[in-house]
Amino acid sequence: MKPRGFIVLLLAIGIASFLRVAIGPAAAGEGMRLAFGMPDAEILGLRAQSVLSAALLGGALGLSGLSLQVLLRNPLASPFVLGVSSGAGFGVALVLALAWSFSIPAVAFGGEVAGAVAGSLATLALVAWLGRAREGHDPTTLVLAGVIIGSIFSAGTMLLEQLVPFGLRGDLLSWMAGRLPELPTQSALWTLALSAAGGLSVLWFHANALDVATLSDDEAISTGVNLVRLRATLFAIGGLLAAIAVAYAGPIGFVGLIGPHLARRLVGARHAELVPAAALAGAALLVGADALRQGIDLGTGRLPVGVVTALAGGPTFLWLLRSGRWAR
Amino acid sequence: MTAAPLLRAEKVGLRFGEVVALSDASISVHEGETWAIVGAYGCGKSSLLRVLAALESPSRAQGTVAYARSSPLATQRAFVPQRPEVGAAFSARDVVRLGRFAIGRDESAVDRALADVGLLHRAHLAFSALSGGERQRVAIARAFAQVDAGGVLLLDEPFSGIDPAEIARIACALRVRARRGAVVLSLHDPGLARAIATHAAILRGGRVIQTGDAAEVLTAVHLTAAYAHPMQQLGGWIVPDLADGR
Repeated sequence: MKPRGFIVLLLAIGIASFLRVAIGPAAAGEGMRLAFGMPDAEILGLRAQSVLSAALLGGALGLSGLSLQVLLRNPLASPFVLGVSSGAGFGVALVLALAWSFSIPAVAFGGEVAGAVAGSLATLALVAWLGRAREGHDPTTLVLAGVIIGSIFSAGTMLLEQLVPFGLRGDLLSWMAGRLPELPTQSALWTLALSAAGGLSVLWFHANALDVATLSDDEAISTGVNLVRLRATLFAIGGLLAAIAVAYAGPIGFVGLIGPHLARRLVGARHAELVPAAALAGAALLVGADALRQGIDLGTGRLPVGVVTALAGGPTFLWLLRSGRWAR
Repeated sequence: MTAAPLLRAEKVGLRFGEVVALSDASISVHEGETWAIVGAYGCGKSSLLRVLAALESPSRAQGTVAYARSSPLATQRAFVPQRPEVGAAFSARDVVRLGRFAIGRDESAVDRALADVGLLHRAHLAFSALSGGERQRVAIARAFAQVDAGGVLLLDEPFSGIDPAEIARIACALRVRARRGAVVLSLHDPGLARAIATHAAILRGGRVIQTGDAAEVLTAVHLTAAYAHPMQQLGGWIVPDLADGR
C-alpha cells in the first residue's frame, strides 16, 4: 500500500475541482469576461455538478482503460486508442440519425447508451480478434487494428452527419469532439455514478485474480484463475464503461490510457491499489482538463474538453510508445 | 504395498484438428520421484506436460489424468512454462505470492519457496531487473509456494537458455522439493535428464516409447531411437555421435 500516491491523486482532484468551480464567466461592463473567484451559491452548485460529472466520467474512463489493458495484456490499450470510443460514437450517431429519419422527436439518454454499448462491444470484439490474428504478441499490432477500425467508424459517423439536418449535424460535430455538458441531467449523473461504482467494485473484488492474470495464460490457469470468466468480466466492464462515457460526453481521448499508467507510477502494479487509483487518476485528469479549458477564452465559446485531452494526451501517448515504458 | 501415485495419467492424447500431438501416453508419478520427459523437438513433450497439468481443453485432450487428492487442482500441481511471463512491475516476492492465489496468503510459504531457490536475499528486487536464470528461479519459487503442502511440479524446459551455474541451482532446488512431492520436467538434454531424474519417459512422434527407471531408460540405444540419430555414451553423459553427421 502506497498512501502517498493516493494523497497525490486526491490533492490533484481537489485542486482541479477548486479551479474548475472558481474560474468562469463574470459580467464586466457591457460584456462578459473570465474571472477567478468563488461564485454565488447557485452557480457554485451548478459548477459542482459539472465537476462531479467530469470526475465520474474520468473515473469510468480510467477503469475502462485498466480493464482493456489487463484483458488484452497490452499496456497501450484504451477505449480511444482501440477505436472502441469511435465504435460507441457511431452507435450513438446511428441512433440519433435513425430517430430523426423516423421522425421520433427526442431520444432519451437510455437510447444513446444502448447505441453506444452495441457499438462499443462490437468494436472491442472485432479489434481483439484482429489483434490476436497475428502471432508474436506485439502490442502495436492491436493498436494498429484499433486505429483502422476506429477510423472506419469515425468515417461512418461523419457520413451520418451529412445525412441529418443542419441543427442535428452541429450537435453531432460538437459531441464528436468530446464535450462535457455544462448542466448534466440527474439521470445521466446517476447512470455515470452507478456505472463507475459498479465497475470499481467488480474490478476491486477481482484484484488478486487481475494480479495473477499478468502471468502467462498457462501459469494463471495453473494457479487457479478462471481466465475465461475473468476476461468476460473485463470485456464487459471495459466496453460498458467506455460506451456510457461516450454516450454522455462523446469520445474523450487518452484519459483511459494515461490514467492507469499514472496510477501505476503512483501506487504500484498491485490491483488492490491500482484499481481505485486508476479511477482517481482518470478523475484527476478529466477534471484538470475541464478546469484548463475553462481558463482558455477564445472569444468563441469554450474548447471541447476532448481537444484539451487530445492535445495533452497525444504527445504523452507518443512518448510512451517511443520510450518503451509501456513495455513494463 | 506400493503407495498411491500423486499423479496418474492413462492413455492421454492431444489433437489439434487432424494433427495428433500426443497419443496413448501413460505415466504414474509417486512421491519423491523426479521424472524427465525426453525426446526430439516436436515429439510431444510440452503437449504431455500441458495435458498432465490439465491446461488443455477437454475437446482436444483425451484419456484420464487423476491426482491423488480430491482437493482443488491448484493445490495439487503447479506448472512452470519454458519462458515465464510477468506483465507487471512486480517484485520477485510479489510474483511468488501469486502462487498462493487459490490457497490463501501465507508469507512463511513464500519465504520457504524463495529460500529453496536461493533468492530470499533478492526478493525485494523487481522481477524485470533479474537475470534470465533468476527469473526462472522466481517462477519455480512461485510454483513451490503454490504446492507448499506437497504436490506435483510440472516444468517445461526449465533449463532452456540458462548457464550451468543456474542449472545447478535450479536442479538442487528441484531435488529438495521432490522429497515433499514430485517433479516432472521436459528436457532436451538426455545427459542432464540422467543427472537429475530418478525416472524417465522417452517420446517419439507423440508416443511414449520407453518409460521407467532413468538409468535403464536413458541409454544410448533408446535415445538413438528417440532422436533418429546415433547416440553414444561419453563418460557419464550420452551425446550425439558427431562422426555420423548425415
